[in-house]
Amino acid sequence: MKVFVTGIGVVSAIGLDVEENLQSLKSSSTGISRDNNYGLMLGKVRLSNQQIIDLLELPSGIYSRTTLLALLAGKEAWGAHTHDKNIRTGLVSATSIGGMDQTEQYYHESKKNDAAQIIGEMTFDNGRTTEQLAAALNFSGYIGTISTACSSGANAIMQGARLLEGNKLDRVLVGGSDPLALFNIKGFGALNIYDQNICKPFDDARKGLNLGEGAGFLLLENEHSLSITGSKPLCLLTGWNNASDAYHQTASSPDGRGASLAMVNALAKANLVPEEISYINAHGTGTGNNDLSESMALKAVFGEKIPPFSSTKGFTGHTLAAAGAIEAVYCVLSIQAQALLPNLNFSNPMKETGMMPENRFRSGVPVVFVLSNSFGFGGNCTCLIFRKAQ
Amino acid sequence: MRISAASTISHQDTFQHKGFSAALTGLKQGAQVLEPDYTKFIAPMELRRMSEVLKMAIVCAVDCLDQAELEQPDAIVVGTAIGCAVHTKNFMDKILASDGGLISPTSFILSTHNTIAGQISLRLKNHGYNMTHTQNSLSFEQALMDAMLCVKGGCKQVLAGAADELETSLYDIKARLHQEHAIPVCGASFFVLSAEAVVGSDINLVDVESLGLVTGLTEHIATFLSSNKLSAADIDLLLYSNSTQNTVDELTTIFGNGKLYDYQAISGTYLTNSAFALHFGIDALSYTSHPLFGENVRNVLICNNLIPENLGLILLNKTY
Repeated sequence: MKVFVTGIGVVSAIGLDVEENLQSLKSSSTGISRDNNYGLMLGKVRLSNQQIIDLLELPSGIYSRTTLLALLAGKEAWGAHTHDKNIRTGLVSATSIGGMDQTEQYYHESKKNDAAQIIGEMTFDNGRTTEQLAAALNFSGYIGTISTACSSGANAIMQGARLLEGNKLDRVLVGGSDPLALFNIKGFGALNIYDQNICKPFDDARKGLNLGEGAGFLLLENEHSLSITGSKPLCLLTGWNNASDAYHQTASSPDGRGASLAMVNALAKANLVPEEISYINAHGTGTGNNDLSESMALKAVFGEKIPPFSSTKGFTGHTLAAAGAIEAVYCVLSIQAQALLPNLNFSNPMKETGMMPENRFRSGVPVVFVLSNSFGFGGNCTCLIFRKAQ
Repeated sequence: MRISAASTISHQDTFQHKGFSAALTGLKQGAQVLEPDYTKFIAPMELRRMSEVLKMAIVCAVDCLDQAELEQPDAIVVGTAIGCAVHTKNFMDKILASDGGLISPTSFILSTHNTIAGQISLRLKNHGYNMTHTQNSLSFEQALMDAMLCVKGGCKQVLAGAADELETSLYDIKARLHQEHAIPVCGASFFVLSAEAVVGSDINLVDVESLGLVTGLTEHIATFLSSNKLSAADIDLLLYSNSTQNTVDELTTIFGNGKLYDYQAISGTYLTNSAFALHFGIDALSYTSHPLFGENVRNVLICNNLIPENLGLILLNKTY
């Protein structure tokens, strides 16, 4: 059973679609800037909610920003596809905070005024944001939402692949979306893990992460679906795994046990030896803990021959449940462009490992297998492996 | 695949109460959650830091593993509709109260939906697959489907469950479901699914379906049953959630009057109460002759139509 990637869509701080994101990656242009309200470096999508509603010509209603970002990227990935009773089609999305951006407005308002109630009711549950995307694209059937904090997007992609492999679906739109909201901005602030300047993943002097927002979606199809849609595969998804670190609710273990397990098992699933990986898109948030733990895991899996790797969070910020999905789209772009993606703001390798990420957009490199890591609270570790289409 | 353990904490006497399906009567307004002695399972120091939903879920999970005499499941899969909503609300309150000052991160850390599955893995030091599904009224069905995929993919034993807490200021369930007479409650149920036959268990999870944004209940049930080589006449007990009179009428037309049983009248209303229904069905199947449902109950279908446009179907049977 093969899982083909036949569509991609992305919205982030570095662009409203795939082409804009690719151009920013090529020119090493970050989307992170200082936000005057919060005084923090944030990776914001440049459109307001109303601008997205106008752009997509949506019917009037209450939309969380989670839904709006998902609609932008989801529609791009779905492209010109249509529904067909002979293709069992599903949707698996991911979000960490669902409609929190609307809920918190309602909640704060309701403290002053009881009449504000209904808005929050409509958007609090995560599943609702996915249903709004499903309704806009006329999906019915398997419509699901994964929520495993910062690995959610990668898990949604894996879930879609497993539903194809388990013969539950033929075609599935998978991805994740998260907005910037007071809730998560204050939450990560309380954890005291912000870099007050731009983040420096894998650098010895890294101080923390910058939050971002966005959405990424991929369309996955099996061979039966391809035979009807005639889609041209962009690449294949050949490896996936989720493993638990089981060390701490928020911190990663010093040896990156969960991350190692996820990578080793995903390599086995893809039937690969480590040397076959061309490029790794790391989780690389820029926090002291994550980047060291992930580096130790990379050493454990790849030994002294670590493939070219980078974190793209210096472009987008950490987009939480969207991160794994946005970065999966970037992995597809790496394969399509036959190029390695840059890790911004890197100067000096960390003392403990001496590892050097890719620091520029390097084209003309054979990229066959790309590995993507995503890790979340609760020790949730996910690894995906993409393969160039033959 | 076999169901080798089941455990439920609810507003009814379900915890470690074999035979509860015959003993319980309709839930009364104002009924409180029946907490077991949590200290038998969790150290008092840890208990103080845990939210209600975490206590319920962890104790059900531990109870299941004890029943199955299992130290480590190969996978842990949880469905939760509104997740750790109490901690979410606590953190929102802290933001409002902080006025820009320092805030403790504890509630934020524990607010993520996967806190439940993650805390179970931490407690067990389990390094396996760990997943959290959150699709309102279908969260549990999707967790079960995932668990079945795990077993098909080679896992021998999977711990799967659902938990939801009662937090009506962020999610007014009565308003959302348009059920003014509903009794909002919390609940947690966990199960162990086993790839192979297990001593002491003869109950099988046959199939699960999760259908979102659908119409045509009759057609979807017929398709589901026929894909399992069954017809409506083969179903001995139909457990349903009382969503609308239309649903009840339609189900009566399909299955006849004597087979229908409203599980929501027993469990109370929460978005993952089909997990309660699964335990109820397992318990009913454990009788040779059930006081309410009689002899020869073999095939049980759970029809979760709590949100009318979302349909969950769970089929279980007993090996003879």
